[in-house]
Amino acid sequence: MLEAVSLTKIYQGVPALDHLDLLIPEGEVFCLLGPNGAGKTTTVNLFLNFIQPTAGNALVCGIDSAAAPLEARQWLAYIPETVMLYSNLTGLENLDYFTTLSTGCRRSRNELLALLREAGLEEKMAYRRISGYSKGMRQKVGIAIALAKAAKVLLLDEPTSGLDPLAANEFAGLIEGLRQRGMAVLMVTHDLFLAKQCGTRIGIMQHGRLAALFDSRDTDHVGLEQAYLDISRTAVAA
Amino acid sequence: MNTLAADVVAPTTTDSGHWRVIRTIAVKEWLDIYRDSRLRWLAALTALLMLCALLFGANQMQRSERDQAAAAQADRQLWISQGAKDPHAAAHFGQYAFKPQSPLALADLGIDAYAGTAVWLEAHKQNEVQFRPARDSGLSARLGNLSLAFVLQTVMPLLAVMLGFAAFSGERERGTLRQLLSLGVRPVDLLLGKGLAIAALLTVLLLPTFASIVMGMWLFTDTALLSLVDQWVRLAWLSLGYLFYIGGFVLLALAASAFAATSRTALALLLGFWLINCFLMPRLMTDWVRDSQPLPTALEFNAAVAEERKRDFGHDESHPAFVAFRDEVLLQYGVTNVEALPVNFRGLSLRKSDEVGYAIYDSHFGALQQAYARQDRWRAAPGFILPWLAIQPFSMALAGTDSRSHHHFTIAAEQHRRTIQTMISDDVIHNNRHADPSYSAPPALWAEIPAFTYLPPSSAWALPAQLVNLSALAFWCGVAALLALCAVQRLKPV
Repeated sequence: MLEAVSLTKIYQGVPALDHLDLLIPEGEVFCLLGPNGAGKTTTVNLFLNFIQPTAGNALVCGIDSAAAPLEARQWLAYIPETVMLYSNLTGLENLDYFTTLSTGCRRSRNELLALLREAGLEEKMAYRRISGYSKGMRQKVGIAIALAKAAKVLLLDEPTSGLDPLAANEFAGLIEGLRQRGMAVLMVTHDLFLAKQCGTRIGIMQHGRLAALFDSRDTDHVGLEQAYLDISRTAVAA
Repeated sequence: MNTLAADVVAPTTTDSGHWRVIRTIAVKEWLDIYRDSRLRWLAALTALLMLCALLFGANQMQRSERDQAAAAQADRQLWISQGAKDPHAAAHFGQYAFKPQSPLALADLGIDAYAGTAVWLEAHKQNEVQFRPARDSGLSARLGNLSLAFVLQTVMPLLAVMLGFAAFSGERERGTLRQLLSLGVRPVDLLLGKGLAIAALLTVLLLPTFASIVMGMWLFTDTALLSLVDQWVRLAWLSLGYLFYIGGFVLLALAASAFAATSRTALALLLGFWLINCFLMPRLMTDWVRDSQPLPTALEFNAAVAEERKRDFGHDESHPAFVAFRDEVLLQYGVTNVEALPVNFRGLSLRKSDEVGYAIYDSHFGALQQAYARQDRWRAAPGFILPWLAIQPFSMALAGTDSRSHHHFTIAAEQHRRTIQTMISDDVIHNNRHADPSYSAPPALWAEIPAFTYLPPSSAWALPAQLVNLSALAFWCGVAALLALCAVQRLKPV
């Protein structure tokens, strides 16, 4: 579903991403950890084709996102740290808007409300303007957009940053639900607990390379934290 | 390359889907504009300006039409009630030819206020048009003059800029552009949707104005002289010109918004262009054209005409040309003195003098008009990239208020003057054969001389001269569209 083939991005001679090879099949949540500047967000941006790769390929459902960005984006949904929506529209209007734009079809009000419910948003909130939404509620609208779009791939860039533990836990539950529906998920996060909780595999990046790769069943929170700290310290020392 | 590639078919949005996307974007943008009180105020203010301009224009036209009708009637009355009189004295008594206002002057007053609305038709002399409303207005009226053309050519582009400058850059600043682009929306759909919303708002603002102009056309069109259909044709071309002009600004605003990193940069770029287009370049081009293609001053023009008129003998019977003409006439009739002529020699000499004068005036006024046209052409030359310089002459021409239309009137007025002169000279020639100094033409002659009736030219006359400016406007709109397309194709969320 999501594949990086020797994916490389170099900024002014400095590699932000260095020959990354990665395959995330359907039904898998791959969590990318790593210190700031390790190349996590660059990876997401390359899959979205917000930036052009220096070398290699970022494939979404087999479509090279650099060669055919619009086609590649048809298959994916993206939830950044804060889902930016139109504050003067209600949650329902935002969902209606983004759904129509991504699919070219209009859904009925009931369908949209059902999607919001599925994403965990209370119905009464659907009629309120986004300006009154918490960050967690915005993320839920983001999930509803992904559901409406029937995306096969979900890209998450630090989606729980700033969420309270309860909201983060609720969000993790939603991600698990999407995984079970067969979605391939790439989640960039600094939250080791969330990575352990949601991820089927966990990668730790350093200097644009995948420095370590874990199956989440083979490691515990402590082991993951130790590996993360070791890699981060090496990065700082270097 | 990828094992999944074979069994995955990318979802595609159909044509109707694209149209739905465009419509959805347009409706959402419209809602955004509607809910933004600043833009609501701006739109309301523009509508108010247009309404004021229309009311002022209609009022001015009504007053002018009423005054002209009264003056024309009074002048005609004076002319026909001269009584028995020496025909040549009547020719010097003269009469006015009034320029009827074009019904579309409501859309663009053009140069009428500065070029004058009536010409004094008298013997031997082709006069310039006089009665210039601008000269008769007080200082406050001159400074506070508000025309619909000003609103359309200057305020509407500003409104387009204000509506469009943040269309993409605002989304980028709010972070919503990232979300939008991640959906896989075609940039061109975004451009069309946003452009449609702005165009729809501008259309809503312009519709009442358009309706008012149509109503004005009905009210002010004298169907005995003008074809209402032709006024419609003029209005249709005028609308097309403004569509290119304002549409170009909408597209340019969207291009700048997509291209610039921030809304502030986009706004600064667009306002800079607006100022250059609407204020700086018209002034600079006018000055440059005036210096590079100079016109004679009124004094120089009159002196040049007077100099050449020395060739003409007028009433000077000692003038060599007079003597030569008299000899030629005597030879033609085979007589030795003018008293033996079967016609009135004074009438013949007046007619000859007039004919010499016609050629002189035709040459000088023709050259002056050519110089005006040359100036207009040079001034409009940068209209391909600075469209104010193209829309301004185009608008005046299609409204029938430009210098070329004015010249058309002056030619008609001059033709009428010549008709009067010929009829009067003929009366003297044939009815006062014995050169009786006490001869008076009967009062019936004055009524026999027709009142001046001006048939303004049709759109088919006006349009060909404006094809270059119309092409310039189409080019400008095309370039703006191309810029907008290029800018959105390179659209990045950061």
